[in-house]
Amino acid sequence: MKKALTVVRYFFVYLMLIILSFIVLYPIAFTISGAFNKGKSLFQMNVLPIPSNPTTEHFTELFTKTNYLNWYKNSFIIAVCNMLMTTVLVMITAYIFSRYRFALKKPMLMSFLILQMFPSTIGMIAIYVILNRFGLTDNLFGLILVYTAGNIPYNTWLLKGYFDTIPKSIDEAAKVDGAGNLTTFFRIILPNTLPMVAFLAVTSFTQPWMDFILPRFILRSDKNKTLAVGLFEMINGRSNDNFTQFAAGALLIAVPFVILFVINQKYLVRIMSAGAVKE
Amino acid sequence: MKKRSDLTAPILSAIFMGLGQIIVLKQYIKGILLALIEVLVLLNTGTIAKAIEGLITLGEPKPHLPVAQRDNSTFMMLDGLIAVVVVIIVAIIYLYNILDARKTAKIYLKTGILPSRKNGLSAIGEKAFAYFALSPAFVMLAFFVVIPLVFAILIAFTNYSAPNHIPPNNTIDWVGFETFREMLSLKQYSQGFARTAIWTFVWALLSTTTCYFGGMFLALALLDKKIKIAGVFRTIFILPYAIPGMISLFMWAILLNGQFGPITRAFRELGIISWLQKTGILQKDIIPWLSDPLLAKIMLILVNLWLGFPYFMLMITGIMTSMRQDIFEAALIDGASKFQQFKYITFPLLMYQTMPLFIMSFSYNMNNFAGVYFLTNGNPPDTITTQSFAGTTDTLITWMYKLTLDQRLYNKASVVALIMFLVVAPFALYNFAQTKSFKEGEL
Repeated sequence: MKKALTVVRYFFVYLMLIILSFIVLYPIAFTISGAFNKGKSLFQMNVLPIPSNPTTEHFTELFTKTNYLNWYKNSFIIAVCNMLMTTVLVMITAYIFSRYRFALKKPMLMSFLILQMFPSTIGMIAIYVILNRFGLTDNLFGLILVYTAGNIPYNTWLLKGYFDTIPKSIDEAAKVDGAGNLTTFFRIILPNTLPMVAFLAVTSFTQPWMDFILPRFILRSDKNKTLAVGLFEMINGRSNDNFTQFAAGALLIAVPFVILFVINQKYLVRIMSAGAVKE
Repeated sequence: MKKRSDLTAPILSAIFMGLGQIIVLKQYIKGILLALIEVLVLLNTGTIAKAIEGLITLGEPKPHLPVAQRDNSTFMMLDGLIAVVVVIIVAIIYLYNILDARKTAKIYLKTGILPSRKNGLSAIGEKAFAYFALSPAFVMLAFFVVIPLVFAILIAFTNYSAPNHIPPNNTIDWVGFETFREMLSLKQYSQGFARTAIWTFVWALLSTTTCYFGGMFLALALLDKKIKIAGVFRTIFILPYAIPGMISLFMWAILLNGQFGPITRAFRELGIISWLQKTGILQKDIIPWLSDPLLAKIMLILVNLWLGFPYFMLMITGIMTSMRQDIFEAALIDGASKFQQFKYITFPLLMYQTMPLFIMSFSYNMNNFAGVYFLTNGNPPDTITTQSFAGTTDTLITWMYKLTLDQRLYNKASVVALIMFLVVAPFALYNFAQTKSFKEGEL
């Protein structure tokens, strides 16, 4: 009797997992099939995610008839610069806060904690005025500066916490042996915190790809558009007559992200549970 | 020298920065640096005063001049703010200069030793290096985080808005609480505001709890050792987290198209729509997934669940695998059933450990722009609040976005931002008080 009950229970668990998998996979499959479906409109699509008259013309059109490649390039430039600037600046700032003693250190750290609570959208009008003052509106570099500045407070805390876990006695020993500040940092601190620095680099690389409000507000001309803004304009209000091309464009962004996440699954689980209260 | 009281140095430093350090305490480098700062400030007094005056007047309208030569109020406001920040920083340095002189003088009186020049130099070097290395980060923070926040607050007290007060064509003026008064007294704004604020809270609460418990449920189901191919399922369930959210939301907006969307068509082909029409629930041959206020809200929560559960699933999987196993073994020996184990051990432990992350996710959802805007655009509108541009599914942040970008009513957008901040701040402060460094007072 008990065994039969267990069998019934697991039957339902499996049934539920399969139904949920279907719900998760259906929209993805529908978009993939849309990317290869002949014709432009949503109406011509099969309800089942199987493309009728498969074609790759939407991909070729994406590269020849729209500015897709240009958007991709802009987003890529922003992502790489944001990654480099954020990582370097945050590394320096966190290292100073972790290892140096100086006046006003505590109030500075406190203000970082408070600043990271405000979403940057609150100040977006002012950000526009400031960039305008320095002639940096409609300029990729202006946007990169805004992203990098916004990344400093939270990530400095994150990285400082990691730097703090390396005992100070180790760098004191190194200093006795004649190592300077730079040598200590590159030989001792950095190798020991590399995973966290890598995590910071990856998150600041992925962050700008799908950010919408700031690029939409700051980058006004067509040649400076990012992927998020371009895709938005491609599909907004036109979901019925431009669906297949959007699907092709979306697919080309999603694939690298999915690969990155699935490969790093185990790592993700560890990083995400790091914010929990320890037993 | 010895007879001088320990007040000479601080008084000298109060008269001119660095003077006490140079004359009494022989700290030449520090003193000269401080004196240089004061000289620089004195030389620029005119510029600073003019910038601050600009902040107060915000310029005069000069319609007879060409646009490029008119007073640009927003630039004047910005310059004034920068000047105020400079003044505050100099004031802090000035205070530091006096306190430092007093402290060093006290030590000198007690021990009779001047701060050794060699020691002083290397200590100054260390500190100077620290400040020097921090300065890029601080300049960027000042310009792109701190000043924008203050600026946003100030705009709420001006008439900076389309069509009549947009620099450089026109100037803007301080209007005090006029914008607040207007938004409270006009029905379209006060109603739009109340509804948007309540919906923002409901949305944040429901979207966080559904994702939290959905994720927890799947994490626990997949950790059951009797489930085969749990890894395959887990990889499938990660997909919504891996796909950029904006793309998924557009995807769902398409799937939920009331007329041509595949879900509507599947319902139609299964005869569900015609049956619903017969019973009078539906009037037309469409399903208003995203165009009926209530149904649109339900869809927002469900689609957000699709996007958000993997985050909590991964997180709880991580916490569960690192949990101590001995409690569970003890419970098993005591004859606890699976349900009892969950109710008395797993669940309380998880709740305790994930509370900060839950709150963080809640305040994130309060400001979750994409989750609403890309699915419904804030639509459908209703008759009264349509004049204030707030749709029935708009949250505070999407409303603010519309007021800013589509309508250019910057002063009203800033009022919304201000209130948004007041709503989010308590949660942020709570989380702040929970952080380890704050509790242990170490920083």
